[in-house]
Amino acid sequence: MYFSLFEQVILLVFVIFSVSSFTYEIWKRISIIIKGTGTLPIDRIGERCLRFFREVLLQEKVIRERFLPGLMHALVFWGFMAFGVITLDHFVRGFNGRLLGETAYSIYSWVAAPFAVLVIIGILYLAYRRFYLKPKELGKISITSGLVAIFITLLMATYMLTELDLPENIEKLNWWGHSFLILAFLFLIPRSKHLHLVLAPVNIFFRSFTVPDHDTVEIDMEASEEELDSMLSGLTKMSKKQALDIFSCVECGRCTEVCPANRGGGLLDPKHHFILDLKDPMLHSSGVDVLGQINVEAGWECTTCQACTDICPVGNHVEKSDEIRRHQVLVEGQVPQEYQKVFRNLQESGNTEGAFQSPLADTLPDYKPDKDYLLWLGCFARYGLDPDFENSVRSFTKILDEAGVTYGVLTEEMCSGDPANRLGDKLTYQMLMEQNKEQLEGVKKVTSLCPHCVVNLDQEYKKYGEVSYKVEHHTQVISKLIDSKKISVSRSSSEKLTYHDPCNLSRTLDEIDAPRNALNASSSKYFEMEEHGNKTLCCGAGGGLWWKKETKGRTHLVRAQQVVESGAETVATGCNFCFGMMKQGLGPLTPDDQKEIQVKDIADIVAENLVAN
Amino acid sequence: MKIAVLIKQVPVSDSTFRPAENELWIEEGQIQYEMNENDSFALEEALLIKEKRGEGEVVVVCMGPSGRAPRVIREALAKGADRAVHIVEEGPFETDPHQIAHILFESIQSESFDLIFSGLQSVDLGMGQTGVLLGAMLGMSTATLAMSTEIQEDKIRVKRELESGWFQWLTLPLPASVSIQSGINTPRYPSLKGIMGAKKKEIKTINKTDLNLSEGLQKVTRIYNLETDKQTEYIEGDPDVQVARLMDILKSEVKVLGA
Repeated sequence: MYFSLFEQVILLVFVIFSVSSFTYEIWKRISIIIKGTGTLPIDRIGERCLRFFREVLLQEKVIRERFLPGLMHALVFWGFMAFGVITLDHFVRGFNGRLLGETAYSIYSWVAAPFAVLVIIGILYLAYRRFYLKPKELGKISITSGLVAIFITLLMATYMLTELDLPENIEKLNWWGHSFLILAFLFLIPRSKHLHLVLAPVNIFFRSFTVPDHDTVEIDMEASEEELDSMLSGLTKMSKKQALDIFSCVECGRCTEVCPANRGGGLLDPKHHFILDLKDPMLHSSGVDVLGQINVEAGWECTTCQACTDICPVGNHVEKSDEIRRHQVLVEGQVPQEYQKVFRNLQESGNTEGAFQSPLADTLPDYKPDKDYLLWLGCFARYGLDPDFENSVRSFTKILDEAGVTYGVLTEEMCSGDPANRLGDKLTYQMLMEQNKEQLEGVKKVTSLCPHCVVNLDQEYKKYGEVSYKVEHHTQVISKLIDSKKISVSRSSSEKLTYHDPCNLSRTLDEIDAPRNALNASSSKYFEMEEHGNKTLCCGAGGGLWWKKETKGRTHLVRAQQVVESGAETVATGCNFCFGMMKQGLGPLTPDDQKEIQVKDIADIVAENLVAN
Repeated sequence: MKIAVLIKQVPVSDSTFRPAENELWIEEGQIQYEMNENDSFALEEALLIKEKRGEGEVVVVCMGPSGRAPRVIREALAKGADRAVHIVEEGPFETDPHQIAHILFESIQSESFDLIFSGLQSVDLGMGQTGVLLGAMLGMSTATLAMSTEIQEDKIRVKRELESGWFQWLTLPLPASVSIQSGINTPRYPSLKGIMGAKKKEIKTINKTDLNLSEGLQKVTRIYNLETDKQTEYIEGDPDVQVARLMDILKSEVKVLGA
């Protein structure tokens, strides 16, 4: 094929138009992203590269989360990779050159041609799913998606035609067709969710290893008015990573599909409320000061379970309830009355209940520096938010006693601050954190039955500065005692037993194995629920929502219903809030003729099956 | 428009109460105090009126001990009140609403407020009279249990809650003292800017002992826990005997039936 000067000029004009339009649109977005606060993280670079390899190049997460559509997506993605060289070569030919020599090209065709078929299979399946199966999480019918499906199919078809021996004029027509499709695609990409082709790999690379990952809010009570104003006005600005998230979104709806508030009939729709609703305001204002635009009512519904962030295939930190709530509390002063009460209790008495005495703490030994562990009770156990949970604390101390591990509680233990932190009252949080840090000075090892307390004492406090101690969840301590044979447990538990993973333990602390190790050691009838491990479904109490008044949302019943349907006789959990919530959910859901499913802490199960050494 | 809001610091109602040793008040040691919830609706209503009009002054008036009362005063200032009058009362605490109204009258009569808002009652004593009595002493028009308020030139129109679902619309000339029904609005939470700003706001203190007061009309003579006890009696015999015994218990022992 020979291209005349006229043809080359035409081609050049189109290429310049398309490439500059693409570059302009991308630059528009990058210039917004760099206005974001903070920096894009590049710590643990090796792990980042490995994650990039697995999640981007291997498409591991995409395939795992939704197998068939994921695999089809992977075919299209791998095809695109394979076609990179072919495409460049294609355009060089338009200027009468070659990128690949004839031999190299024909050898490479053996790779590219099968991929062309796979891409067609992939894209046709995806189109079939979107336009025929119409899963509700994909939302409204998208015209661009249809256009893209047609483009990609035609691209592959026109490529395959080049492999045939066509008459020269038809071959040239086919060549121009192929070129226009690519240039049109390039034009379309930055203007649609297909921008994820460019940004998702970048976004996955920069994703934080800490979840949840919200900016700290440090409040200086001695600050001048100007300093205060500048701090407060910063609360509605997104970080660079958050801005990158918004433009990377592929609108697949996985986040909304897994959202417990949404599944419980609530208003919250993370895909729109936390991500897409912010895109237009960003583009219109050419800035990142858009967090004030998030639907506040939806923001209060979030249980901060991190399922949305965990499942996002393009590496978004979806959840933004922290940003909404802290703005409502610190700037607007608009806080639901029940949470105002919790905040006042925390300020006046240092605990969520406004209590002065803990009958449980009074019966446990006081912490002294010679003890192995500081046993951190947390308000739930300390003040009997569910009186039955006291037994679980006693189960844990029984295990520790049996193993000869010494422990003690703080007489002046304050709330770790979890509800204040998650509900946005960063001032009260800071006050509690400072008082607790003072009390914990010099302490080496802390253990707690409450994953909310563990997350705060450990991960969250560390965001504000160093801590001297290590914190272990009680299931981690128990699991280690079993492994090191400090306690003996028999697998004599005969009840059909399943386990509900607490969000804070599984998704935030990434602890999946320790609870299972303990349960498998104590029961031969242990089985998994369908949604388990990192894919657990929130009980409904997270994010301070334990203190929420009854609403039409039925978040806590969705999980309880799954437990009922699992056929378990006992459900174990590793979190006091899950314990209380599960009991509240299972009560009304148990049919009259059925025995109510028992809710136990992992410590209870292990303690019941302890064998004296 | 100059609005005074009467706020009281009260024990949190689900606390465990014990009578103090002198049996004249409760043991304060292990009690958490907060702003009387009903008063927080009165404060919110005053702040909303000020914000809607774009002018005015909201002054909170609180009587209580110097040790703990400033906490609720600061909270009110942080929510947006402009300044405060703190009548320091170290105890024994006045419980007679007429006397309390008189103390408030002595403390604020020179201020010439257009409006005085109070909560419908305090959750500790529940008298519900202070606001009306103070209004009367200051020669103001008065109304209780307002479910909505509307300022019209030199009048205030209120919707009052009556019994069994009945309401009354009433227009009062200003100045007026109105007690506010709970639930009329959604009380705000102090914003950070409010909390920081409150530090600079004026709190005028008046010592109760410096006021020219006569003896109150009523006082508490004793606070004590009610004695409760339980009795179980198994009534035996044939039905006639059982009924006769039951009637006897209901009439002469439990006294729920006339003899």
